[in-house]
Amino acid sequence: MKFSLPGDPDSTDILAIANVPVLWILAIGVFTAIILQTIVYVRAARVAAPAAGITSAELKTSFRAGAVAAIGPSLAVVLVSVALLGLFGTPAVLVRVGLVGSAATETASASIAATTMGAVLGDASYTQAVFAVAFMAMSLSGAMWMIATLVLTPILKRGDSRLRTVNPTLMAIIPAAALLGAFASLGMAELGKTPVHVLTVLVSAAVMGVCLLVAHLFKQSWLREWGLGFSIVIGLIVAYGAHTTGLPPVA
Amino acid sequence: MSSTTVTTANSAILATFDRTTSRWGRLTMIAALVMSLAAPFYLIVFADLGITSTQVWIAFLAVAAGFSFFWVVEPITYFPILGPAGMYQAFMIGNIANKLLPSALVAQATIGAKAGTKRGEFSALMAISGAAIVHVLFMLVFVGILGSWLVSIVPADVTAVARLYIFPSIIGAVVVQLVVTLKQPRVTLIAMGTAAFVYFVLVPSLPALANLATGITVIATASLAWFLRSKPRSALSS
Repeated sequence: MKFSLPGDPDSTDILAIANVPVLWILAIGVFTAIILQTIVYVRAARVAAPAAGITSAELKTSFRAGAVAAIGPSLAVVLVSVALLGLFGTPAVLVRVGLVGSAATETASASIAATTMGAVLGDASYTQAVFAVAFMAMSLSGAMWMIATLVLTPILKRGDSRLRTVNPTLMAIIPAAALLGAFASLGMAELGKTPVHVLTVLVSAAVMGVCLLVAHLFKQSWLREWGLGFSIVIGLIVAYGAHTTGLPPVA
Repeated sequence: MSSTTVTTANSAILATFDRTTSRWGRLTMIAALVMSLAAPFYLIVFADLGITSTQVWIAFLAVAAGFSFFWVVEPITYFPILGPAGMYQAFMIGNIANKLLPSALVAQATIGAKAGTKRGEFSALMAISGAAIVHVLFMLVFVGILGSWLVSIVPADVTAVARLYIFPSIIGAVVVQLVVTLKQPRVTLIAMGTAAFVYFVLVPSLPALANLATGITVIATASLAWFLRSKPRSALSS
């Protein structure tokens, strides 16, 4: 097997390195780990069911209910993932957006990482080198979530109360503020780019606003899950129209 | 058999369940962790892109400045709902709030199990397992196979535009979604004001801070939101 790749740090042909076989094998490996874990869990639950006061019929019902409830949200994630394939390539999208992270956190990390290289996601400055650094940065950030889970779960299981007795007012304000701060900052950064970027941000925001309003007024909660997918599709259609009909692409 | 022996037998069975799920949950999560890091590492080492470790560190620290807070807070927040076994599932499968938690709640409601009980924990675990299988299949078939095929037939100029404007088309929606679901108008205004100040005043005058813009906004927003929080009247008068 050949390990060296025909990489070119200045090429913008991301998919030439993003879709190589080794990355596919590693992506399939992550999927395999999840399937293996699921099988072990289901078997362990079957054995211990009587002791937990739950029947095997109820286990089966729960499994099926969870599977059916996941169909809509999963298809929504599929739509968002397909839109990201050109930016990150299939294996990275499968692992980062489809699994471990989410579209919002992973693209946010990639955007921050690209900025440190003086680049913008997707334009002429988004080279193979920028992609590789962005991919590494979002993978490291995702790894930190898993490391925190691995470290904290046993501590929380022992019922260490210090971690849970954090000031409730603090916990009501700081996480929300940090989330809003992070994404408001990234949104503001887009407003400083080209007119088409600004237009796309506004259209995406408006579509999500309409989706959430309709979801609220007409009790259509599925629209909450699909809001991001719709915003991306409509945002990209408007961006395509504006980009090709001549809003100045000042990059 | 007396009720005491039944209880003892049950707690032994549940302890075994706990050990099995913890051990395998951790092992599979560590395997996924290693493989997910190996992918970009492979590109950096073997693709001859001339990337230095300094570049990687700067990029990672810039991301950490914005997100390190959530690495710790999210596991602590979700633990009471997910339980130990569920933690290793959820943080590997991802999309917790929009997919896994709804699935678990639907399953518990279907069989009439309460969250926080053993029945509830088992029901949630089975529901997340069902959700995981559906999700893995959908991702492999619709993104892995059909998505890759779709990208190969879509005209190059469409792909180029999608690549260029995908981030703005995500971020606008995400900000609106956060503002609406968090329902914290005061914090929202502080975040918007801080972000605008950082991007249109601070960074233009001190370009060296560009890499840290997100981190600075996060810390400033969190501090301002804390000091400018609405204080209950009783606390002020007493």
